[in-house]
Amino acid sequence: MSKLDLNRRNILAAMAAAGGAGLMPSLAYAKGSVTAAMYPGAWEDAFRGIVAPALKKAHNVELEMQPLFAVDQIAKARASRGAPPFDVFVLDPGPRITGIDSGLFEKFDPKKLPSLSKLPAGMADDWGVGVAAQFVGIAYNPKKFPTPPKTWTDLFREPYVSRLGLTGFQTTFGTVSIIEIAKMYGGSETNVEPFFAEVKKILPKVAAISAPAAQPGLFQQGQIDIMYTNTQNAGTLKARGVDIEFVKPETGTIAFFTTMHIAKGAEQANAYKYIDTVLTAGVQEALMKPPYFLAPVNRDVPLGSAGLPLTNLNQMDKFIRHDWSKINPLRAGWIERFNKEVAK
Amino acid sequence: MISASSGTMPKRSGRLAALTRPAEWQFALPLALAFIAFFAAPLFMLIGVSAFDDDRITQLGFAMWRKFLGDPFYWKVTIDTLELGLMTVAASVLIGYPLAIVYMSSGPRVQRVLLFIIIMPLLLSVVVRTFAWIVILGHEGVVNYALMWMGLTPTPLRLLQTEFGLVLSLTQIEMPLMLLPLISVMSRIDPNLRDASAALGASRWRTLFTVIFPLSLPGLVAGCMLVFASSTTAFISQQIIGGNRLVYLPLLIWQQSLVVYNWPLAAVAALTLLVSVTAVVVVISALGRRGTRYLNVT
Repeated sequence: MSKLDLNRRNILAAMAAAGGAGLMPSLAYAKGSVTAAMYPGAWEDAFRGIVAPALKKAHNVELEMQPLFAVDQIAKARASRGAPPFDVFVLDPGPRITGIDSGLFEKFDPKKLPSLSKLPAGMADDWGVGVAAQFVGIAYNPKKFPTPPKTWTDLFREPYVSRLGLTGFQTTFGTVSIIEIAKMYGGSETNVEPFFAEVKKILPKVAAISAPAAQPGLFQQGQIDIMYTNTQNAGTLKARGVDIEFVKPETGTIAFFTTMHIAKGAEQANAYKYIDTVLTAGVQEALMKPPYFLAPVNRDVPLGSAGLPLTNLNQMDKFIRHDWSKINPLRAGWIERFNKEVAK
Repeated sequence: MISASSGTMPKRSGRLAALTRPAEWQFALPLALAFIAFFAAPLFMLIGVSAFDDDRITQLGFAMWRKFLGDPFYWKVTIDTLELGLMTVAASVLIGYPLAIVYMSSGPRVQRVLLFIIIMPLLLSVVVRTFAWIVILGHEGVVNYALMWMGLTPTPLRLLQTEFGLVLSLTQIEMPLMLLPLISVMSRIDPNLRDASAALGASRWRTLFTVIFPLSLPGLVAGCMLVFASSTTAFISQQIIGGNRLVYLPLLIWQQSLVVYNWPLAAVAALTLLVSVTAVVVVISALGRRGTRYLNVT
């Protein structure tokens, strides 16, 4: 009996030692790494190609990424309360508000970012910092339409409407585009009823009402020839040889920022190093170029050549912005309404 | 219960001995534990979450059930989802059954080629399969190109984002689930039965309906259940080929859980999908059993 106990104790001790030994290198490794949530696709490619090497070089920190869309990041962080599955979020304005409301972020101190002075005013706050701009407008196929569309209402008129691809409120760019269309018909940021009234009239003509993820594929295959989208999608398609042009609607291009936030309970020092690396002029410029097309927020980056709808970040004030703290509470109702209005 | 050899032991350790004695059920233990941990427990959590009134999961109540069941739109979505499954099952039976017969009556070399073609859709990622269907059915796709070239239609037909296109592509995508059980059951049918039927004067059609069909019924039923369950829940295909004008339950679940974070309503939609799909699967299997009995009696 006693021999058995001794054996068990020995085994436990050995296991603990082995476990400890196994843990030690990983602790040491964790010191030099940061886990960031990252949008799958172009963003993930861009960060693997540009940010990871820059972070390694500047701070000797390894970048590990978890490919997750904004909504998935919030869902995952909410599901794993207190033990964040990653250190840094990357979010659109809507999910950002949800994250703040759900208490998912660590208080953010912009002063810890050496690049702060290079950003336009108001880019950073107590919750996080903008790392890329997104511009939303109309994209169309110039081979199919001799005259480019001019305004949001053109989308609902011939010849455009019968080649139009619509998406709903699932994405940020879809939501803000619909708001702008609603405004043209008398609506506002919080009233999209006029959009629904107009959509009902054109529903039989519309070429496709699709999942946002399917839209670039549908455009490439000629199923649709006009859509609302962001400059990044349009740039990516164009770089693949698709006939596509981005148009600034008469009322103005929509702009919003993609922001980064530190997860509650995350290890912070490396998170700040990572976010600052993303904001440095060299990285921002590389991210702007094909095939990535991420619009920069650092004023030192020369814009000009990237096909962006502005030549200087100070023009940002002229773009249409939206207040997501007003939009978020209405969005669930809008999504439900959209389903009901468009369902066959 | 307690065997004679352990009769001298105290009762408690005897029971323990009986439990720890090697037996077949112990082989199933790892699977059973995994099932409890990763399926049964989450399922009960899902049921629990559905019994909350608010998206913060603080207020107990059945508001979400009332909202869902009291809205004709959600009933329509549920029925549309089941209809999609039934249409896909019907199409895969119509195409799959003759194919299975062709498979059974071909030589081993042709069988190998056929089997490869049947399994092929399973070897491709669902995303590739789905995008391939965009290329085939699209406005400027292969089908429309062919139809216009033959002069059958002056303008491209709308095939994508229609129920027809969705059923067509789901039928191709789910076909292996129909054919594999069907073929495995059919290949166990004794070939002598077919010869006996012919020797007794039955025509080939009569042999098919009175001999082959009843004996293949278990495989057909298994295939129908798999195709039904799989096509009603095929979120990616429904989304990309069907588009957002065709609203099915998986889309609602995704929107409520991942876009608006109303987990209670998502749980209600998920349980509705689970219950309604299970109900139809039970009906299919009951029909199969009755059919087998009926055909065996007559």
